[in-house]
Amino acid sequence: MFRHDSPDEAAFRAEVRTWLAANLPAALRGRTNRPPPAELMPWYRMLSRKGWIAPHWPKQHGGMGATLNQQIVMTEELAQVGAPQLPAQGLNHIGPILIEFGTAAQKARHLPPIIEGSVIWAQGYSEPGAGSDLASLATRATLEGDHFIVHGQKIWTTWGHHSDWMFALVRTAPQAQPRQAGISFLLLDLHSPGITIRPIKTIAGDDEFSEVFFDNVMVPAENLVGKLNDGWRIANALLGHERLGTSNPQFALMALERIKTMARASGVMADPTFQDRLAAASINVIALAALFSHAVELTNRQHGLGPDSSIIKIFGSELLQALDELLIEAAGSHAAAEQPIATDFGVVDVSTPFLQVRRATIYGGSSEIQRNIVARRVLNLPN
Amino acid sequence: MELHLSSEQTLLREAAAKFAAAAGPKVARGFRRRDISFAPEKLRQAGDLGWLGILVPSSAGGLSLGLTELALVLEQAGRGLVCEPIGLAAISAAALAQGHTPHPMLERTMNGAALVVPALQEDAHCNDLAEPRMRAADADGSIRLTGTKSFVCADGADGFLISAYGRDGPALFYVDRHAQGCELSATQTVDGRKLSTLRLKDAPADVVPSRQSSRNAVEALTDLALIALSAELLGVMEKAQEITLDYLRIRKQFGKPIGSFQALQHKAVDIYIRTQTTRSLLYQVAANNDPYRIDPALAVAVKAKASEDALFVTEACIQLHGAIGFTDEHDIGLYLKRAMLLSSLFGNAAAQRRRYVNLADLTV
Ligand SMILES: Cc1cc2nc3c(=O)[nH]c(=O)nc-3n(C[C@H](O)[C@H](O)[C@H](O)COP(=O)(O)OP(=O)(O)OC[C@H]3O[C@@H](n4cnc5c(N)ncnc54)[C@H](O)[C@@H]3O)c2cc1C
Repeated sequence: MFRHDSPDEAAFRAEVRTWLAANLPAALRGRTNRPPPAELMPWYRMLSRKGWIAPHWPKQHGGMGATLNQQIVMTEELAQVGAPQLPAQGLNHIGPILIEFGTAAQKARHLPPIIEGSVIWAQGYSEPGAGSDLASLATRATLEGDHFIVHGQKIWTTWGHHSDWMFALVRTAPQAQPRQAGISFLLLDLHSPGITIRPIKTIAGDDEFSEVFFDNVMVPAENLVGKLNDGWRIANALLGHERLGTSNPQFALMALERIKTMARASGVMADPTFQDRLAAASINVIALAALFSHAVELTNRQHGLGPDSSIIKIFGSELLQALDELLIEAAGSHAAAEQPIATDFGVVDVSTPFLQVRRATIYGGSSEIQRNIVARRVLNLPN
Repeated sequence: MELHLSSEQTLLREAAAKFAAAAGPKVARGFRRRDISFAPEKLRQAGDLGWLGILVPSSAGGLSLGLTELALVLEQAGRGLVCEPIGLAAISAAALAQGHTPHPMLERTMNGAALVVPALQEDAHCNDLAEPRMRAADADGSIRLTGTKSFVCADGADGFLISAYGRDGPALFYVDRHAQGCELSATQTVDGRKLSTLRLKDAPADVVPSRQSSRNAVEALTDLALIALSAELLGVMEKAQEITLDYLRIRKQFGKPIGSFQALQHKAVDIYIRTQTTRSLLYQVAANNDPYRIDPALAVAVKAKASEDALFVTEACIQLHGAIGFTDEHDIGLYLKRAMLLSSLFGNAAAQRRRYVNLADLTV
């Protein structure tokens, strides 16, 4: 709407579109739940062989070294064909962190398997007692000789039960003040003895995340990333980085199309009240596209957006929820159906996207936490 | 989020900020309920600075700039509660400059010696901007208009740009304030300025030519009005936000600044999200549209959002002030009232959404 491809970007877009049309398996398109690894990882490896699995990584580590605009083109084209979401913990989190903070040995050992799709990573930050207040985390790592002994529990670990490795925040200095100064960043082999992983079913019916227990697990000291007790800084260094990816307006535009299909099928499109609400939501989608385009312009010109990236997350995630509220409204009594609904205008999945999008305002820093951040760091309001 | 501006644009914004700083709440109060609620010499000053001809092609003596520049100036005007109708004059000048030969009123409109304003609205909801009930009749070589326009910002105006239905459908006409058969009656607004009903009975008029179809002249002026009003609304809400954030830092209750209370912090962030999203939307639309060929769905979207957000923001600002915000003496109320006026003109948020439904085909 507001962003225009350069000739090079347009050529890249055409290439990606053609390739996706020919290569993305039909069974993987338009899924509202993430397919399990047996279905998803072959697709991951296809993208990898094509050289497109890590647009944002530098070439020397197996990425594309793509510009921000090319990355956006890729996101948009993948969304457009209804490609499933790939496991992102390796590609978007630990990969970039190791590239920035890892030792040569850590890079050599861990980066290639992420690119190849032979190893799946999990993020071990949250604990039962440490959610928004992440700095209160209690999982202990005690250095004994050349090993850490890790004891404690992580929870809400996305794809934990499918993962081979975890990057975790662990407490290495229990008495340190502030609490952030006693936290380290550790890589854990999830196949080590003493680890138990249990999947947790989500309201959307899938096993998206899990809980992970550590019972005196031995972790080689070389798996420490950065310095001891410097984990908090490392974990936060690259935050905000990916917010531009997840708030691409393409997802909202597609949600809008789903609503229109459903509303035409159910007849509610003729209702002026519904039309008014749909117009309001559509106008907000245009505003999101504008905000996104503005943010991309700024990011291309300077380095990052700073705490302002929080407002994109708040606005984008709350808008997606508002859109799916309209979707279930459009569906009327079909709203509660577990399965997608067959209409004269095509099959529309209603309840699953509505349930799935609840997460958008919880993870990655809830909407409330984002508002706290903006209030203090952007608006300079007092404590 | 900062805008990325060229150095010329930055200079323009600074000049506009200076102009606006010389206005402000105190000056705006002084104009309340006055016969002409602005200073004509200030309008001429805006003309001298080139702002009234900002969109006018350089071949016709204007600055030949775009919507971004128009918005930069009007955003500052909104911040300063400027009373001179810079936006309406500037878009009228743009309309007068459309034809192959510029309209005789163009020059004086551009330098601020005369004020020409649009008179497009006929009902409170702008249901039929493109299908006016005002009639244009050809009578032995001269054109005469008959009908009624409402909600016209006629204060101090010397002439009007009027949409009317003629032989070839809707077109834009110029009518002089002192023309025969031209009658104005004014009502007071909460903002201290007036809105007028303009009644024409066989009033002599001349056609304002357009670049493309005659309908296009009306539509182009409408879309420009939506952008201009939205830019002022943005400035109004930004300044109200600024005043309110300051208040949250200094006002103490329960032994602490009230800005430390989370409920108020979150409200402040909601205000900030409204101003930032309106800002991005306005300037992205401005950067991507030719002033004479704005995508109407985008113009409507901008005005819908700016109108809704300006009311949301200024209402919230009153709430965050407590009782002092409810007094006439405190300035924050002036921003709410300016938002009430500007958001209501050329169609409020709901009216824009009704237009959007058709423009974006949100129908069966
Ligand atoms: C689908 C999904 C996947 C996830 N994947 C992972 C993962 O892979 N790895 C991982 O480590 N974590 C993951 N998480 C966890 C996520 O990071 C946490 O859910 C999040 O940090 C919030 O913590 P909590 O759930 O404990 O909620 P709590 O912190 O208990 O919050 C409960 C409510 O209180 C509000 N609240 C809390 N503190 C404040 C405050 N100071 N001011 C105002 N409101 C407040 C919150 O906004 C929320 O509404 C995932 C979560 C979801 C939903």
